[in-house]
Amino acid sequence: MSAAQSLSSYLLISAALFSIGVFGLLSRRNLVAILISLELILNSASLNFVAFNKFSLVDKALGQVFAIFIIALAAAEVCIGLSLILLLHRKKDSINVDEARELRG
Amino acid sequence: MTDLHLFWVIQLAPLLAFLLIQVLPKTINKVAPAIGMAFSLTAALASLNLSFAHSQGAGLPVEFSRQWLVVADYAVWPNIPVPHYTLSVGFLLDPLNLLMITLVTTISFFVQLFSFYYMNEDPSRPRYFGFLSFFSFSMTGLVLSNNLLQTFLFWELVGLTSYLLIGFWFEKKSAATAARKAFVINRLADLGFYLGIILLFLLFGTLGFATLKADALRNVLGHGTLTLIGLLIFCGVMGKSAQFPFHVWLPDAMEGPTPVSALIHSATMVAAGVFLLARAFDLFSASHTTLLVILSIGAITALMSATLAAIQRDIKRILAYSTVSQLGLMVMAIGAGSAESGMFHLSTHAYFKSLLFLTSGAFIHRFHTNDIWEIADRGGKKDAVALGCLAFGLLSLSGVPPFAGFFSKDLILEVLKHHGGIFFYGVAVLVSFLTAYYSFRLFFVIALSKIGHEVRAHHESLTLKISRALPLFSLAALSLITGFTGHAFHLNMELLITTVILVVAGGALAYSQFKDPAAAEAALRGNQGFIFKILERKFFMDDAYDFLVKKVGLALGRWLNAFDRAVINSLMVNQTSFSVMRLGRVVSRLQNGLLQDYLAWAVGIGILIVFCFL
Repeated sequence: MSAAQSLSSYLLISAALFSIGVFGLLSRRNLVAILISLELILNSASLNFVAFNKFSLVDKALGQVFAIFIIALAAAEVCIGLSLILLLHRKKDSINVDEARELRG
Repeated sequence: MTDLHLFWVIQLAPLLAFLLIQVLPKTINKVAPAIGMAFSLTAALASLNLSFAHSQGAGLPVEFSRQWLVVADYAVWPNIPVPHYTLSVGFLLDPLNLLMITLVTTISFFVQLFSFYYMNEDPSRPRYFGFLSFFSFSMTGLVLSNNLLQTFLFWELVGLTSYLLIGFWFEKKSAATAARKAFVINRLADLGFYLGIILLFLLFGTLGFATLKADALRNVLGHGTLTLIGLLIFCGVMGKSAQFPFHVWLPDAMEGPTPVSALIHSATMVAAGVFLLARAFDLFSASHTTLLVILSIGAITALMSATLAAIQRDIKRILAYSTVSQLGLMVMAIGAGSAESGMFHLSTHAYFKSLLFLTSGAFIHRFHTNDIWEIADRGGKKDAVALGCLAFGLLSLSGVPPFAGFFSKDLILEVLKHHGGIFFYGVAVLVSFLTAYYSFRLFFVIALSKIGHEVRAHHESLTLKISRALPLFSLAALSLITGFTGHAFHLNMELLITTVILVVAGGALAYSQFKDPAAAEAALRGNQGFIFKILERKFFMDDAYDFLVKKVGLALGRWLNAFDRAVINSLMVNQTSFSVMRLGRVVSRLQNGLLQDYLAWAVGIGILIVFCFL
């Protein structure tokens, strides 16, 4: 079996995607970049679903359905996230996440 | 009217008088004494009616009882004689109650009558007569009740009225202090009483006097438990009947108006303790240890206060110590196992001691002093009515035949001789000798002194004269005849001779010392002897209490205060809240408002969880 057809190669790519997403989430100050990192994490999850679906014999469609759900969810999430960022930009004239810390204890 | 109706009349008439006097407008408060007297006369007549109807004692005891509440319908203690823990309220009718209720209501009436004379000039007469009526109500409630808890409730009420009446002239500091002292000491003693009641109820299941029988008690409870319960309840008796070491409040209680001393602090309330001993006699006699303690406490009290009565100058204090001593004799008689003789002495003592107190009130009201030498100096012996009644009372007190005191004291001596052992008999004989001594001393000082001042003529209205003399004469007559009413009436020649010898010896000793009262007083002032000092300091009992309260009590209080502040308050309460605050301050730094810090925490902790659990 070639490397392209093994489960672990899919999972490795998914893990890499997830790590890049988390790194972006923690390191970037730009809120749009943070949103993009979030998308990476979601995509790593859907990749996992599809990969497991392909290599397991339970039900051929189940994992793919979940991947479609995640895409829909990500679209909705980006909608809300972008509108929030837009509001923040109107209020603060900036989309730097460190500027928005009114809720500190 | 049936017995039950009479009971209600006796019980409620004084309460009604109290309420009427309370609601009366100030403008017609002159009628307060009349109301008090009218209602107490009603109660007295009702109780006389009751005693005559049952004088043969046929068909007694009768109990009118009603269930009040069921405390628990299961037994927490095995083999209690009743299936449920129930409390009842009701009246009990037996010879003991009849004797006591007659005594209480009649003396109450005479005292109210005399108070009309004694309190004639006092502006707060309505308050006085109101309290007096309320006392009669509480006392009749105490006497008539058919169970221990009801007794206890009224027991506390008489304590309250005693406090109110001792402190009647509360503007006077000494009176307020004396009232407080009486109240506090009685509460202390009543704590024991209450604990005893709780214990008895828990382990025996019922508090009705009719069910408290020695055999039943012994069946259910062990000797140790019975002794504990008996002694706890006796603790209350020690407070109320002024037994050692709780006797210290009674002499101070003389700060109250003298008729109050006659009614409450000699005849009825202080006798309530002895009455309770007789009422619940089986509870005490079920354990011979309890009886021995009762006997010993009575002996200590009787002897101690008889010696103290012998050196007092204040006429009321002489009588107060004498009361304590006589109560000690009654307690001794009951401790020796004879409730009848104790109650007999209680009844005779009630009449002649209230006579003596009213007589002292007559002296005090006329001569404005309590000191017997000063009463004599201002013309005490010219007051024929008072002097004659004083002689009557003192003859009865010292036990001269055929006065009432002779019969009852004789009976007690006889009981102690046969059941108390030679030691306690000796104590009683010594007490009788001392009684004769201080009685004759009191009489000789007043009767044999030279009058220093010229005696002013007294202009009193006829009503006042009657209200002064009538109670005195009536009680004098009663203190002569009640001796013949004792059911155990008989003469024992040997004891008769003993008593007469004791009285003559006491009288002779008193005469040899006080035939010239002025010289005796000078000698008394010069006396710095060791024994005299001890007696003058009342065996250091007040000092002991002082030490206990001021030194030990306050030191303990200070220590506890420091402990409370240092350990409870600062260490436990404050430190808890401080550490919560400190923790809060540390933790609140986490919430810095930086979104990515939160994310970092979440990711970090998530990774940690993954590594820990997978």
